[in-house]
Amino acid sequence: MKPLIHLDHIQYTSKERTILSVPELSIFHGEILGVMGPNGAGKSTLVKILSCLQAPTSGKIFYNGVEVPAGNVSLEQRRKWAVVLQQTLIFDTTVFQNVAAGLKIRKVPKAMIKEKVEYWLEKFGISHLAKKNAHQLSGGEAQRVNLARALILEPEVLYLDEPFSALDYPTKVRLIRDFSSILKETSTTTVFVSHDISEVKFLTDRLAILKLGEIIQLGFTAEVLQTPHHEAASFLNEMTLNLE
Amino acid sequence: MKLNKIFTVSLLAVFLFMMSACSNSTNGTNEKNQAKPDETNTAEVKDLILTTTTSTQDSGLLDVLIPMFEEEQKNTNVKTIAVGTGQALEMGVKGEADVLLVHAPDAEEEIVNSGDAINRKRVMYNDYIIVGPSADPAGIKGMEVKAAFKQLFDKDAVFISRGDDSGTHKKELGIWKSIEITPADNKGYAETGQGMGNTLQIAAEKQGYVLTDRATYLAQKDNVDLDILVEGDDDLLNIYHVMQVNHEKHDKVNSEGAEAFVQFMIADKTQKVIEEFGKEDFGESLFVPYTE
Amino acid sequence: MDLLIEGMREAIEMLISGDPEIFEITWLTLKVSLSAILISTLIGIPIGVILGLTAFRGRRLLLVLVNIGMGLPPVVAGLWITMLLWRSGPLGSLSLLYSPFAIVMAQVLVSLPIVIGLTCSAFQQIDKNMLIQIKSLGATRFQTVSLLLRETRIAIMAAIMAGFGRVIAEVGAAMMVGGNIRGETRILTTSIVMEVSKGNFDVALALSFILMSLAFIITFFLTILQQRNKKQ
Repeated sequence: MKPLIHLDHIQYTSKERTILSVPELSIFHGEILGVMGPNGAGKSTLVKILSCLQAPTSGKIFYNGVEVPAGNVSLEQRRKWAVVLQQTLIFDTTVFQNVAAGLKIRKVPKAMIKEKVEYWLEKFGISHLAKKNAHQLSGGEAQRVNLARALILEPEVLYLDEPFSALDYPTKVRLIRDFSSILKETSTTTVFVSHDISEVKFLTDRLAILKLGEIIQLGFTAEVLQTPHHEAASFLNEMTLNLE
Repeated sequence: MKLNKIFTVSLLAVFLFMMSACSNSTNGTNEKNQAKPDETNTAEVKDLILTTTTSTQDSGLLDVLIPMFEEEQKNTNVKTIAVGTGQALEMGVKGEADVLLVHAPDAEEEIVNSGDAINRKRVMYNDYIIVGPSADPAGIKGMEVKAAFKQLFDKDAVFISRGDDSGTHKKELGIWKSIEITPADNKGYAETGQGMGNTLQIAAEKQGYVLTDRATYLAQKDNVDLDILVEGDDDLLNIYHVMQVNHEKHDKVNSEGAEAFVQFMIADKTQKVIEEFGKEDFGESLFVPYTE
Repeated sequence: MDLLIEGMREAIEMLISGDPEIFEITWLTLKVSLSAILISTLIGIPIGVILGLTAFRGRRLLLVLVNIGMGLPPVVAGLWITMLLWRSGPLGSLSLLYSPFAIVMAQVLVSLPIVIGLTCSAFQQIDKNMLIQIKSLGATRFQTVSLLLRETRIAIMAAIMAGFGRVIAEVGAAMMVGGNIRGETRILTTSIVMEVSKGNFDVALALSFILMSLAFIITFFLTILQQRNKKQ
């Protein structure tokens, strides 16, 4: 099977320090790839490089077998994927306008925007908030807006950088359930950075463990969690301990 | 997006408003400028920059004379710039003005001699007076001007000077010089660096003595608590001259307009207006016609 | 106190009686100030955005200049413009000195740095991740800036208001480059100075009330615009 995204000898250095070094990584159509690792492992950098929001120092990125010119991605290309960052950076306007933002940028006709926004607000259970200013939402509500804003674009690839980390437990559980069914329904290729083993277990097909900028283990999620390599094991143990 | 629209629309509205305002403003001046040639069918309207002193402008005389002149010279638009005498003369020397109406004879002669100004004509005079608190603590009432100045100095009275290189200031310094006194040595001596009107107000506040032109004093009499103490001395004449800037030395000067203005100022008709000016409001005229 | 009441009464009388000169002066003040702030806004916001968002050689020096410019004394601006427009100056042949245009120039000179400086600082405060977030939504450069302008609109409006405040209050430069010519370049501030020096405190006071009302109305309008959606 041909990968949708392929990284070839990607290096990212900043101030002579290697932040990320990935000799090879393939992401396949429709899969959900989890990325875990301790703080500073390079998870956010990986997401930014995959989504071409940051150019790597060296290496090549292939999308559908075609090389993407790093640092100079076409607008058309960029609009094929959506990113949800760790911070919920929503605009100082209504929930409706926030969710509509990406479509407006793409100059989608008004009637269609309305239809789609209503659909996605409904899907994330935030229809009643449509006219509220997004800066007055609770953390969970804001994160739903953030996710809806990305998913409404019907991206080929969705990049998520710890989107649930700021949420309290019950909110998180509810949101992840809703989100998981949406992802399965749309079969969107997803890269999902997380700190939380239960999230990863629940959502992802494959899992990559990142440490000091390198992928130390990559495999099916269940396998990785069951038989982690030495270094990955110590990290995962720590995570489990933290949970309890 | 709604407020974004409101924001854009209002910005646009303001913009349009200003566009219209700008075009209006150009129209405004054009109207003024065009109205004249329409009637006379002569050449385009030219600006004539008249520099004069603030005291002249503050008297209100020019508000009467300038419209008369513009009525006569339909293709001339007078721009009156009221500044201190020093600046008024300097603008003549630099060729930034076309015609000057000032009252500092010695300095005027200098710029005539240097060739910067020509066609200098005497126009009118009013007189300087010494005003001060009605109680007259220095006791100068009715004295002759030089004696009064000496007395003020000796008694270390509060004396408020313009200190701005104006005609009035120059006049005052001339008097001090003639009695060989350096007034700044005195504690009571203060310089305002401001116009006559402001200086009078400051003098009234400080209950000090001040040398002023009669016109400004009369115009301000109701506001300032100061009385005339010394007047009528020949040394106190404040003579106004009009002169045009030499177009041979400064090629951008509007010499036609300037010459017309000089002629206008010394014409009989104008002189009559000067004589009558102020009688209605102050009971006496502010200026005395005084042509050669 | 009497003078204050008298001044206010006179101001109302002047307006009611429709004294054409007062109306003309007020209208000119409005035209000149609004044109100046409009020009400053149209030039200043793009420059502020560029200074706030991008990094290039000499940017820091430019910022220092802008910050100095924010405190530029109006009379200094007036003096520079005067020398520029003098008959013997570089733009002398245009005969712009002692025209409303010259006042607008001087006012732009004093308000532009304020608009640039405050716009720039508003954009510098934007979270770097916000830029990435907007970019990730597929925005073009222009769309990014317009989204950011919307995010910073309160600060931008504050910048415009600060600039407008400077412009409408300005007198030194207007006096110098405009010349306070009756019917041509006499604006409210210069008239006030002149009336005070003539000792006509009541008229000066009346004019000051008109000026304050003008500033109040415009600032009020801008504030409403700024706070528009903050109520929800």
